[in-house]
Amino acid sequence: MQKQDISVQIQNVSHSFGVEGHAKHVRALLDTTMDIHRGELLALIGPSGCGKSTLLNVIGGILSPTTGGASVNGKPVNGPMPHDIAYVFQENALFPWNTIIENIRLGMLFQGVPKADHEGRARAALKAVGLSEFADHYPGQLSGGMRQRAALARALSLDTPVVLMDEPFGALDEQTRMVLGEDLSELLSRTGKTIIFVTHSLGEAVFLADRIAVFTARPGRIKEVIPVDEPHPRKASFMTSDKFNGLRNRLFELLHDEIRKTVNLRSGSTGGF
Amino acid sequence: MRARAPITGFMARHPRLSQLATIALFLLVWEITARFFVDKMFLSPPSRVYSEIDRVLNTKGLMQALTLTLYELSAAFVIAVAIGMAIGLSVGLNAFARRCFMPIILLLYGIPQIVILPLFILGLGIGPPSKIAFGVTHGIFPIILAIVAGVQNLKPVLLTSARSMGANRWHVLRYVVLPHMMPSFFSGLRLGMTGVLLGVLLAELYVSTAGIGYFTGLFTQNFDPTRLLGLISILAAMAIALNEFMRTVERRFSRWRGND
Repeated sequence: MQKQDISVQIQNVSHSFGVEGHAKHVRALLDTTMDIHRGELLALIGPSGCGKSTLLNVIGGILSPTTGGASVNGKPVNGPMPHDIAYVFQENALFPWNTIIENIRLGMLFQGVPKADHEGRARAALKAVGLSEFADHYPGQLSGGMRQRAALARALSLDTPVVLMDEPFGALDEQTRMVLGEDLSELLSRTGKTIIFVTHSLGEAVFLADRIAVFTARPGRIKEVIPVDEPHPRKASFMTSDKFNGLRNRLFELLHDEIRKTVNLRSGSTGGF
Repeated sequence: MRARAPITGFMARHPRLSQLATIALFLLVWEITARFFVDKMFLSPPSRVYSEIDRVLNTKGLMQALTLTLYELSAAFVIAVAIGMAIGLSVGLNAFARRCFMPIILLLYGIPQIVILPLFILGLGIGPPSKIAFGVTHGIFPIILAIVAGVQNLKPVLLTSARSMGANRWHVLRYVVLPHMMPSFFSGLRLGMTGVLLGVLLAELYVSTAGIGYFTGLFTQNFDPTRLLGLISILAAMAIALNEFMRTVERRFSRWRGND
């Protein structure tokens, strides 16, 4: 693998919350190392509390890790890198007091895009996610799925090589997720961006990702990386194929023990049943 | 459920009409009570208050008093908003300042300020300055509390999201914090206005040689409820007009809320 082909590098990242020795001290992430290639879609999956989101926030520069570090396009991450990384958050992170197009323009204003380019790029991004007609709606007027599309449009308009997504469809119902997943696969295969996304859904991970990093229970480490060898854009028919189901079952086996561990850990800590 | 009586159903569909009916009923009860049951030295019927409103306006020195009170009100309001906003923002946006100063602010707010009114008079005299100061101390607390509360419940993800897109401190304040706190800022302004009105009028009632408070005292002592109620109606009309104006401005800034 050529050095230039590496988009995001994660080196020995560990992170703990709270003070060591203190009762609330939590080791969220343990010595994680990984290279993410340019144009790759990487899914992070694992039991809740395993540090997937922590890792995403470390890459995004929102959280500085206890030890180790990440670099994006060869630059070490020391804080938000608005020109390299765009974020799509799990919750609705649109500004409710701005219309959809104002939200997108505001992102570009923050990033420092010249004013003259705002309108054109915002319209193009809205068109890409199929929301052109809703430019002047407020987020409160849109459905959850449309809001996440709008958030995606905002991220796309920033024109960054890397996009991080923290359970972007987590709050949506399964049918909406499925359709959005198809659209996303189609859209992202065109843009050639490096995408890292956190998900809880096995199907979503298999359907969207080029590689899936499976995490262990807390403190999280990468247990295994599963490649999904299927070209983008992926069609709905992929979802019913044997290959899809095989990979999904493999993921399920890997995750099942880990999830069991976290559940036992929790019921143990509250004194059992 | 049983079918409702037709009149109730009709009223339920027209809240505006029910509102007017309530007011009309109140005026009617007042009219009847004042005409037939209460000594006219203590209460005047609304019809008489209305027909003799010019007697209030022609009272010698009353227009000057009205102007003076309006001046005191606006001065107190402007000062309360300016200081209240500065304190509210600096306390609300900083976790340390909030934990340090909020209990003190709440403590001060809890004191019935009327007990220290004599100190204001002692320090600032019986002229407008003591009234303005007393108006400020009444109006400032609701404004501070509204701003602190308004800044508080901002969703952290909005701040994180803004920073991830490269927003600097000014951007965050201008495009995230300020629009977020607009609705509570305006309810703070309206509560603050009520507080200022209370403070200024209390101080005028307590001791003064001019202003509305002086005249309400004078009319009461002269057993002239017609003029007293007339004056109160004028004050109420002014307060309602101000309140409506604020609500219009508020709506302009919270268009997005109606669609939630």
